Amino acid sequence: MSRLGARLGQAVLLAVLLCWLLSLVSGYDVIADVTPARAGLHPSAQALLGTDHMGRSVAWRLVTASRAFVGPGLLAMAVALALGLPAGALAGYLGGPVAGVVRYLWAVVSAVPRFVLVLLACSIYGSEPHVLAVAAGLSFAPGLGEALTTRIEALRSREFVLATRAHGVSAARTLAWHLLWLACRALILRQLLYLLAFYLVLETSLSYVGGFGIEEPQPSWGNMLAFEFGIHGGNPAAWAAPALAIWLTVAAAIGVASTLRERGHA
Amino acid sequence: MWTALRAALTRALWFAATLVGAAFLVQLLLWAAPGDPIDLLPNGAELRPALEAEWGLDQPLPMRLGIYLVHALHGDLGTSLAVHPGVAVRSLLGPALARSAKTLVLALLLSLALSLVLALLTRGRRPVLRALVQLLTVAPVFLLAYLLVLGLNEATWSLVQAGTIARPSWFALPDQASSLRDGLAILVLAVGSGSLGETHAALELELVAVLRSPFATAARARGQPLLGLTLHNLLPPLLAVAGRRVPFLLGGLVIVEKVLLMNGAGALLWQACLKRDYPVAMGLCIAAALAVAGSRLVVDLARLGLDPRLRQVRA
Repeated sequence: MSRLGARLGQAVLLAVLLCWLLSLVSGYDVIADVTPARAGLHPSAQALLGTDHMGRSVAWRLVTASRAFVGPGLLAMAVALALGLPAGALAGYLGGPVAGVVRYLWAVVSAVPRFVLVLLACSIYGSEPHVLAVAAGLSFAPGLGEALTTRIEALRSREFVLATRAHGVSAARTLAWHLLWLACRALILRQLLYLLAFYLVLETSLSYVGGFGIEEPQPSWGNMLAFEFGIHGGNPAAWAAPALAIWLTVAAAIGVASTLRERGHA
Repeated sequence: MWTALRAALTRALWFAATLVGAAFLVQLLLWAAPGDPIDLLPNGAELRPALEAEWGLDQPLPMRLGIYLVHALHGDLGTSLAVHPGVAVRSLLGPALARSAKTLVLALLLSLALSLVLALLTRGRRPVLRALVQLLTVAPVFLLAYLLVLGLNEATWSLVQAGTIARPSWFALPDQASSLRDGLAILVLAVGSGSLGETHAALELELVAVLRSPFATAARARGQPLLGLTLHNLLPPLLAVAGRRVPFLLGGLVIVEKVLLMNGAGALLWQACLKRDYPVAMGLCIAAALAVAGSRLVVDLARLGLDPRLRQVRA
């Protein structure tokens, strides 16, 4: 990806983060916003992206919908880190039977497709955002862990690691500082960006189909799309804006992650 | 010969162990829920006596998991509780899996074929085309399906209104079952959620490596055609890429079948999860794990057959 593409990707991710912060302080009321008299208004100075067919502001719903995936996405990242990072790092550093057992566990979890595992977890434990986030983090941990194991396995016999041992640096410090922080942080960031993209796709897909995910009147980019499906003569921005937001955010997260890999950081 | 046999046997054992582990994992998810899993069912009180005996609730957890596994190995996945109450899960799964397997295999083949063509077009050049492929294919499958359905419906409705064409039999998508709807599902799965982009990127890397290899240079110097040699050397990575895509396609299939109102295993899983019909949901999860682990095994064995260097590597 070009430098410009990477910059655009970073700008989109920053904009999403700002939308999330704005939604937390805005006090926008999703119930009080229903004004049928303003239904289907096209974008104008009064309504930036117009209104949907219940007269609700598309722009405010778009901003508020970032709550559906940014916070839970961060929780999913924390879960994936908590599970994948220590196990993956230890397996890579120690090798042998530890690596064998950890690799087997990763193979077991990743044998069930992520989406299927999350759906089953939602069915058993409920489809609240925190359940979705924990299940997504659990299903993503093998990807992060396996990537770390492979990288650390390749690095553990390199000169800089041997030098830390010769200088009497503890194994914990070598692993945590020299290997994980200095040599693998970009790899971890790349995996977390993939997880963010996965969580957004997961949440919007579930909310679009309905039954799981975010339910109306709470906004999600997925249920905003579903809400406008089959409405003739309405405001095209009401479906185009969430569609574009999903597309751009996923493209930005994957694009920035790919840039890290292409530049050899991860 | 012995090395190859040992490598194949190791992989087969790994497959069996993974499958057993996956069956335990999905069972564990249910049994780890707080309280009694029968309480989670909408008609739990009514079904309790029968389910307590069938699920072995008086047994300790490892024994319960073992009983489930032994039953599953004999093809007994229990009976449906809510989707089709009283019907054996195995008889529900069979037709649904057959329908979905067709869509899945065709989508995988289409994705690989398109990726190969694109890799031959780009092969380390044309960064704009590569970036465009990456950008267009990251769209989630439900979004692609939504946009395609919306576009086709709107365009067709305009033509029907203008009197240019008669109302087609498939109109309006996705309500009517048609080959167009099936084709859309295959296309969306083959292209969406990064399917095409990632496959293309992986194949392009391999293609460039093959074209820059000493044997390709030697073949060029001898004036030999490169296409056959290239495709032969691309086959092992092509299989590896195909194996890696299976879990993603299975996940996408659930959504595509729901969005396009298709009647396959994905839609059945959704319905089972929504109605908390755990025997059906568990059966489908194990079928998905079987597909993923099975595809890994097939790919590994095929690569062992194609690439003798892999037989020397410890499995």
